[in-house]
Amino acid sequence: MATKTRPLRLYSKRFYHSYDHPAPGGPFPAIETSILRVSTPHIPTHGFTNTSLSLGAQDAGYLPASTNLFPRGAFSLVHYYLYTQRLALAAHTNITAADAVGENGYVMGVGGKVRALVWERLMANKAVVHRWQEALALMAQPSNIPTSLKELAALSDEIWFLAGDKSVDSSWYTKRASLSTIYAATELFMTTDKSADFIDTREFLDRRLGDVKVVGGAVGSVSQWVGFTAHAGINVLRSKGVRI
Amino acid sequence: MALRISARQFLRSARRSYPECHCIRQFSSTVQQAVEPTQPQPPLNERTTHFGFETVAEAQKEQRVAGVFSNIAASYDAMNDFMSLGIHRLWKDHFVRSINPGTTNPTNPQGWKMLDIAGGTGDIAFRLLDHSTLINCNPASKIIVSDINPEMLDEGRKRSLKTSYANSPRLEFLLANAENLSEIPDNSIDLYTVAFGIRNFTNKQKALGEAYRVLKPGGVFACLEFSGVTNPVFNAVYKRWSFGAIPLIGQLVVGDRDSYQYLVESIERFPRQEEFRGMIEKAGFATPGWEDLTGGIAAVHKGVKPLVSDAVEAAARRVEV
Repeated sequence: MATKTRPLRLYSKRFYHSYDHPAPGGPFPAIETSILRVSTPHIPTHGFTNTSLSLGAQDAGYLPASTNLFPRGAFSLVHYYLYTQRLALAAHTNITAADAVGENGYVMGVGGKVRALVWERLMANKAVVHRWQEALALMAQPSNIPTSLKELAALSDEIWFLAGDKSVDSSWYTKRASLSTIYAATELFMTTDKSADFIDTREFLDRRLGDVKVVGGAVGSVSQWVGFTAHAGINVLRSKGVRI
Repeated sequence: MALRISARQFLRSARRSYPECHCIRQFSSTVQQAVEPTQPQPPLNERTTHFGFETVAEAQKEQRVAGVFSNIAASYDAMNDFMSLGIHRLWKDHFVRSINPGTTNPTNPQGWKMLDIAGGTGDIAFRLLDHSTLINCNPASKIIVSDINPEMLDEGRKRSLKTSYANSPRLEFLLANAENLSEIPDNSIDLYTVAFGIRNFTNKQKALGEAYRVLKPGGVFACLEFSGVTNPVFNAVYKRWSFGAIPLIGQLVVGDRDSYQYLVESIERFPRQEEFRGMIEKAGFATPGWEDLTGGIAAVHKGVKPLVSDAVEAAARRVEV
């Protein structure tokens, strides 16, 4: 009698990070990786399409028919691109080092590093930005949304981690959520940005990060005020003899 | 009178010679008793395989499958429509669309060389050619339709006359056993398809090995076959339909219950998704996983033949594991 279980996914899922024992493999098996790796140079010309995949397969020594290895078609290319660009962030040691110096000549704090890393990630899209709307369209297809959101979450987690964030309270979640929204918005803005060196995108990113600071500060102040008032109110009532 | 009837029954039962194991009669075994004595027992020293729920000698299965398909060749489509409520057409369309035959790229605008195994009536072959020509604008793709059964191939030839591929070099018919495709050279095929056929093969692993041989490195093995329903509630309904209704429909429509009894039994016997995927990988293919259709009644399995270098690597990795 055959078992009812589905086979294990090819990449293992771990809920911890280890410097000594890196997680094995990625989400793509060996042959798929060899095709996808040589498909990415075709993206600027042919976009996130089956043509790029097919040309990549050809470059790797395979046939146009071999693209049947990718049941999700061009989305596999998008996924691979997101995955490799995310991992490439760790190579920016000039930003992630503990004593990294920012543009203003001072040692960067966590916030400064986050900003620099987001910018590096956005600049990695420079070569394909004229094709990025195709990728966004594929990512927004209902069957692909879970993978896309996971990649976005993994990216913002990677950025906070590389920036040296050590928070262990609920701000761990709010930081990642707010960075995800900022990144997604900025990435979308960048697809229509025609300014030199993406100056408009840079300003847009700074405004969004500023917003978060303002909103975060306001939320912090309001919650402090609510907490103080509630405590004071309870104490006043207690002093009047109410048993609470 | 009653005495005379019982005496006659006694005499009749005495004349019947049951094999030894059937002498002890239990309440739960009445059905088995009714069926089993009719089965010819294969000699012990012969290799056996299954034919539906029966166990037959390997040499016999080929003939018996041939018998089934000779019986149903003419009414093949009508019966498929009745049994699957027309859904088999959607499955086949989806199967072909997911393979996307005839797709090319600017540097390699060649046609595909396709081989449709067990494709006697041409159902899949015409769809593959249509998709290649109309969707991918690739009129250079060719197909060889292969079947072990001459009646099914005749049916396909007859149907091909109604298509634009009749008597064109794009369409060939080949009478061959899928376990021994000696007419087809090594590394010569882009796409090997087998739709609702591999279930009937005597030695499935051997046929998969033969598919691996004829495919070019990078070529695709694609199989559409009945499979296991994953939802237990739906499975109960489906089993009721397949064992209750399908043989009955066969009896009513074409007057052949046994062929369709074999059909549902062979579906039940066919390996489940995980197991079949394992068989494809064992033959050497890289598999991207399978796709369930209509809750798993059918499933699409694919495999890509790796390049020689990748195949060596993959084999080494398998040894390590």
